[in-house]
Amino acid sequence: MTDSEYDVVVIGGGSTGTAVARDCAMRGLKTLLLERDDIASATVGTCAGMISSGLKYSDEPDIMAMCSKEVVHFNHIACHIIMKNPILAPLLELSDAASDSSYVDSYSAHAEERDVPAMLFLTPEASREIEPMLHPDIIASVYYEEFFIDPFRLCMLQALDAINHGATVRTYCEVIGFDINNNTELEGIIFYNRVSGTTERVSTKLVINATGPWAHKIAKLADEELDIRLNKGAHVILDRRVVNVGITVKAIDGRWIYLFPHENTTLLGTTALDTWEDPDSLVASFDEIEYLLQSIETILPSIRETRIIRTMAGVRPLVPEWKRPEGKVTRGYRIIDHSETGKTKGLISFTGGKLVMCRHMAEAVTDLVCKKLGKAAACTTHTQALPGNDADVDVAALSKDFGISLHALERMRARRGTEMLKVLELTKEHPEWKTTICTCEPVIEAEMRYAIREEFPQTLNDLRRRLRLGTGPCQGTFCTYKAAAILSEELDLGGDDFLVDILDFRAERWKGIRQSMRGEQLAQEELTLGMYSCVGNLDQSDVDYDIKPWEEGF
Amino acid sequence: MNEDEAYEYVKSTLKKEMITPYHSDELTIVSSVSRCINCGLCINHCPVVAAIGVDRFSGPRSIAVELSRSPPEYWSTADKIYLCTGCGTCKEVCPKNVDIPEIVNLIRARIFEHRPDLVPKGFMLVNEIITEHGLAFEPWADKEEKEESRDMRLEHLGLPFIPDIVKEKADVLFYPGCQAEERAQEVREAAKVILDLFGVDFTLLNEFSCCSLPSRLMGNEIKARELAKRLKNKIKKLGVSKVVTTCAGCTSNLADLAERDDWGIPTYHLLEFLAEEIGYARLTQALKGKRLSESVHISVHDPCHLIRHTSRRIMDYAMDILALIPGVKVTASEAHDSCCGGGGMVSYHSKDVADAVVKENLIALEETGAERLVTPCPLCTAQIESNLFKSGSSIEVDDLTVFLAQKLIKE
Repeated sequence: MTDSEYDVVVIGGGSTGTAVARDCAMRGLKTLLLERDDIASATVGTCAGMISSGLKYSDEPDIMAMCSKEVVHFNHIACHIIMKNPILAPLLELSDAASDSSYVDSYSAHAEERDVPAMLFLTPEASREIEPMLHPDIIASVYYEEFFIDPFRLCMLQALDAINHGATVRTYCEVIGFDINNNTELEGIIFYNRVSGTTERVSTKLVINATGPWAHKIAKLADEELDIRLNKGAHVILDRRVVNVGITVKAIDGRWIYLFPHENTTLLGTTALDTWEDPDSLVASFDEIEYLLQSIETILPSIRETRIIRTMAGVRPLVPEWKRPEGKVTRGYRIIDHSETGKTKGLISFTGGKLVMCRHMAEAVTDLVCKKLGKAAACTTHTQALPGNDADVDVAALSKDFGISLHALERMRARRGTEMLKVLELTKEHPEWKTTICTCEPVIEAEMRYAIREEFPQTLNDLRRRLRLGTGPCQGTFCTYKAAAILSEELDLGGDDFLVDILDFRAERWKGIRQSMRGEQLAQEELTLGMYSCVGNLDQSDVDYDIKPWEEGF
Repeated sequence: MNEDEAYEYVKSTLKKEMITPYHSDELTIVSSVSRCINCGLCINHCPVVAAIGVDRFSGPRSIAVELSRSPPEYWSTADKIYLCTGCGTCKEVCPKNVDIPEIVNLIRARIFEHRPDLVPKGFMLVNEIITEHGLAFEPWADKEEKEESRDMRLEHLGLPFIPDIVKEKADVLFYPGCQAEERAQEVREAAKVILDLFGVDFTLLNEFSCCSLPSRLMGNEIKARELAKRLKNKIKKLGVSKVVTTCAGCTSNLADLAERDDWGIPTYHLLEFLAEEIGYARLTQALKGKRLSESVHISVHDPCHLIRHTSRRIMDYAMDILALIPGVKVTASEAHDSCCGGGGMVSYHSKDVADAVVKENLIALEETGAERLVTPCPLCTAQIESNLFKSGSSIEVDDLTVFLAQKLIKE
């Protein structure tokens, strides 16, 4: 087998694609992952990070059982990027509880294996002690616990672990065609390298199409039809943890929505709209923001006094069940072997699925791949830990040893676990790299240099996904130039590339800010505008930059 | 599980996740902090940042946009959050009125609850003293020695001794604060001299107890609430109609407590009391013919707890009153309202930081050419005095109450 011959090529660097690449590599298959953009740059990057117990899916007991099991596995292999959220579902009327009593039983049935309690009921007084922002008229609340993972780091760690097991991961490589022989057997895959601007080809026996909302488009390249139901979900992001615990509430249309503390922000979500828009330029609409605010306002009347820093929107690639509301569509996934549904041999696609299932999906498809390739290898992705999961880290001691702020190290630990030691090693030779680059999160220069060298980012946006760079209250007002200078130095970028990358990074921030800008964020944006225009003269730069769809009108 | 057991269970989970729910009276603080637009004005004005640099103390902006965002991680601010002197300069210059000093207290309270191992050891010592004695300083073991020390101070200052009075239904409770009660006894005595001179119907506490500010600053919220309650009960029992203090920290804390806990009576710094209740006419009258021959060149330091945590008007009163004293020449120091470094109990664990902060004051003070510095706070007095002494300066420091009492007594 030469360098350009693979057992399996996985398309898509989201949670599923990286999980598949990891599983294939761990089972000894020669694996290539192709991602058109960056790891976790689309659907998974816009989710709330909940590895759900599946309590909303009490109609599908098998799926609830599977979700619960997967939570146990994640806590075993990636505990360093997981946080637990206590959650209250406050009730304003008794009928709220009665209509959904099935949740209580089905959630509680699997609680023990996740080491959480069965659902509990709390008095209004206790509820308001736990969360004083709650409406004074609540009559009770239901209490439960869920786990949340950093979705960006999960995908990154799965990709890095795949590489550790021999896989090749190529970002910015967009699949543009397949080589299919006269026997309708897939033999090769053709892709466009967006960094070098060249077209490349590799041979492969199998292709796994894990491209989420683009799955039907990839199938089309092989002339295969793939039915998929695309559904838009939007989140509003608040600047900090404004609630003590997660809050779930019935929205104005009877769906469930939530307000979840996540890392050092709070996420308000989500909406569900069938969509035919381009997932690349999708933004949250005014209606979606208002729907979320009005819905949560019924139980948290002061929510509008909190600070909205941005929105994010993504597309769920649902299983194509039509003529029923989104909430009734199965949360399971389907593996479509196109040799059975169509004619192409060697192409396998996914529809459906959830973040919590990504490892399970990978296991199932890798079983199929192994069967097709006649390889006998058992799945170990649920027993072998992801990088950094090994042990507890004594952050306080490291802070003293390395002279770096305790909080910066604790945030780094939440991203890297024990792997953070590799970052800290760099500061021995370069003490100046202890400088804080992003002051909101915070991120120090050493971690940025480490990520650039070890985690293959090409742009500032890629760095954001790896480090949370520029995701705080100021939305990259102060870190962009500093980070761009470091990236340019490490990647040897020229002046124009440097500026275009800054513009791209700003555009990506603006994509989430523009729709939700109100209140204090207006003042912040004025300051940001002043910084970039009056100080940075960014509005006067004459580089070749194409305005993004969401920037039009300015 | 019934509802009560359920609540207990939830509380144990919150404890494990290191979440202390924000109380309803803390929500305004949290929402104030979320107004920060990261402009950085505060960093340029923060005396601690100026003294030790952003690498060691990342400053008020970082408290707003970084350190205060995630309660489960509050423990990880322990290497920074205790370096804030609580001077309030950041809040004063902030265009969005972000309440940094209060969020600092809120975070310290969480660390005290969840990670007492990260609370500075120096705080824990004070905490033990407060728990044992209800005072921020170890009381004198020997009462007679304490009185000897008092009398020596009075003699040195040329002040008469006015015996303590404790009675119910007096008009005014004079509350000296722990520093003047146990250490700077001359301040306590001087205030009594002044109150006596103007015929004020005053009383002291039967048994002095701390106002609770030190417990709040170190994060022992439970103890702070307990001390506040104890003090309120004592005041209610005495039935006074006003509280007067000579300590800047007590002034701001008593004012806050009176409002929060519905005391229903006003609290004053002695300077306010003199200006508003005694009046400049009576002061002028009393100053007539007293030690007029002696002229003195002074500069004045503004305590943070008065100008930023209570009101800048108190120092206007101070200047008015000083202007009434014949022979007193005041030259303003460029750093007159800059933190002395003594706030936030920083000196209890990082004396080098507290001393670095005061440096700017010392330099500006030397430039005034003044022979004496006066300030209406025994804590500022102690902090500046010891640093001037160490630097070999000849400038002497007086608590303003003592300075005033000296000018008011008969020749």
